[in-house]
Amino acid sequence: MKETIVIDGLSKYYNGFLALDKLSLKVRENEDVALLGPNGAGKSTTLKLLCGLLYPSSGSMYINGVNVVEERERAISEVGVMLETPEFYPFLTPDETLGYLGRLRGMHGREMERRIREMIKLVGLEKWSKVRIEKFSRGMKQRLALAQALLHDPQILILDEPSLGLDPRGMVEFREIIKKAKKKKTILFASHLLTEAAKICNKVAIIDHGKLRFYDDMSRLKKKYRSLERAYLKLTEGAI
Amino acid sequence: MSEFEKLKIVTRYELLKQFRRKRFYGALVITVLAVVLTIGLYQGLDLPKRMGVPQNIIDQHGTELFAIFVTSMGSLAILGAVFFAGDAIASEFEHKTGYILFPNPVKRTTLVVGKYLACFIATAAILGVAYLISAGALLVFYRQVPVGILGSLAIALALACFAIGMAFAFSSVLKGGMGATIATLLAYMVIFPIVSSSLAYAGYNPWFMPDRAGDAMASTYGVSYENAFGGMMGGGPVMSGMAQASQNPTLSFFVLLTYAVVLFGISIRLTKRREMI
Repeated sequence: MKETIVIDGLSKYYNGFLALDKLSLKVRENEDVALLGPNGAGKSTTLKLLCGLLYPSSGSMYINGVNVVEERERAISEVGVMLETPEFYPFLTPDETLGYLGRLRGMHGREMERRIREMIKLVGLEKWSKVRIEKFSRGMKQRLALAQALLHDPQILILDEPSLGLDPRGMVEFREIIKKAKKKKTILFASHLLTEAAKICNKVAIIDHGKLRFYDDMSRLKKKYRSLERAYLKLTEGAI
Repeated sequence: MSEFEKLKIVTRYELLKQFRRKRFYGALVITVLAVVLTIGLYQGLDLPKRMGVPQNIIDQHGTELFAIFVTSMGSLAILGAVFFAGDAIASEFEHKTGYILFPNPVKRTTLVVGKYLACFIATAAILGVAYLISAGALLVFYRQVPVGILGSLAIALALACFAIGMAFAFSSVLKGGMGATIATLLAYMVIFPIVSSSLAYAGYNPWFMPDRAGDAMASTYGVSYENAFGGMMGGGPVMSGMAQASQNPTLSFFVLLTYAVVLFGISIRLTKRREMI
């Protein structure tokens, strides 16, 4: 299987603070990887770097063999992204927002309209598709964020705390959507929720203080440390 | 898909955002009130006579004097521009909408240009309404519309380009949209007048300062500023720079556009380098 995401010796400083320390990671096609770690471990920084929202201090990143720093637009063309607590333009409706983002991703016409309807239905926002987003709760915005990430049926999904703000039903629905989608997608999924990560992903990368502490199959990790929780506690000892 | 196609998409949706905001309609109401008030006060108070404009100038250039008053849109161009442009870039970072917009296969330059065009179109719409009302008033009171009104509109649009460029430059570097809006207004209403006044007191004609764009607009009607309004300016050696107020409107137009291009270039460069931390 080809390597879809390659991170090589990636470092990132924020005003002298080392947030990511020579991180190297390879994700193969159709793999689903949970990126776990305590607050400030460097999970979000890694994902933002991959999306071209930050510039690395050193190191390189490739998506489908395309250098993210040198050819950002081409590198992320097959990526669906959901980062942090999503915010949308309050004056637009979900239909308009998805229309905007779909067109920017090269979608158009009836096919785009059909896909928008499909995504709106998938995340359960049918009754809200023509309501301005300024009236939306956090959970509804989270659902819309998932819809826009999946809109162009990307080959790769980059998700940062995607179930944050969802109610229990929303979390279950979200998990099912990702499980269904992951059959033909590569997923990099950052979360604090160990159980959530264990249910969705087959591989796990644990990072702490910007360094990769463990990267292997979930089953091997459980075999070695007996449970994901124990592994997490052991590998992130003394964090914060 | 070409970047030009993406630019059209960005501009279209940015424009939709501008027209959905209350501030667009707020700016429109303020503009209409300001123009109507100016027309009413000019006619009601017979301003040229009270300002000491010589009678021969009033007789010769009554239409142009009225046009100068009612099309002094410098402040409106600035107001419109900062209303729309102040938060155009900063809000993507401040309100985190950039997390949705930036991870798309579109260049940041395209996004900034699209935003700029949308802000310009919104400002031009406001100015267009103001000039239409003014042209209507000229037709009602004088049965003619001086051709200089087109030059005045062109300079007002160039000033808007400059103001949007300045607001974008602030917006691309400051954390919040409100800060960028206030910084743009302070620069135009406090900093530039201080520099202009200082230059005038020193005997230099500050025609190239953006805050003198109003004089450039007035000069498109071909009325000698010194002859018409010389009585208001005190004159004398210390004000000699101010007393030479008549400007070359064409030159002012291109100077404003040059400022706009430079500031817009700066804002593109800063936005491209800005990180979503």
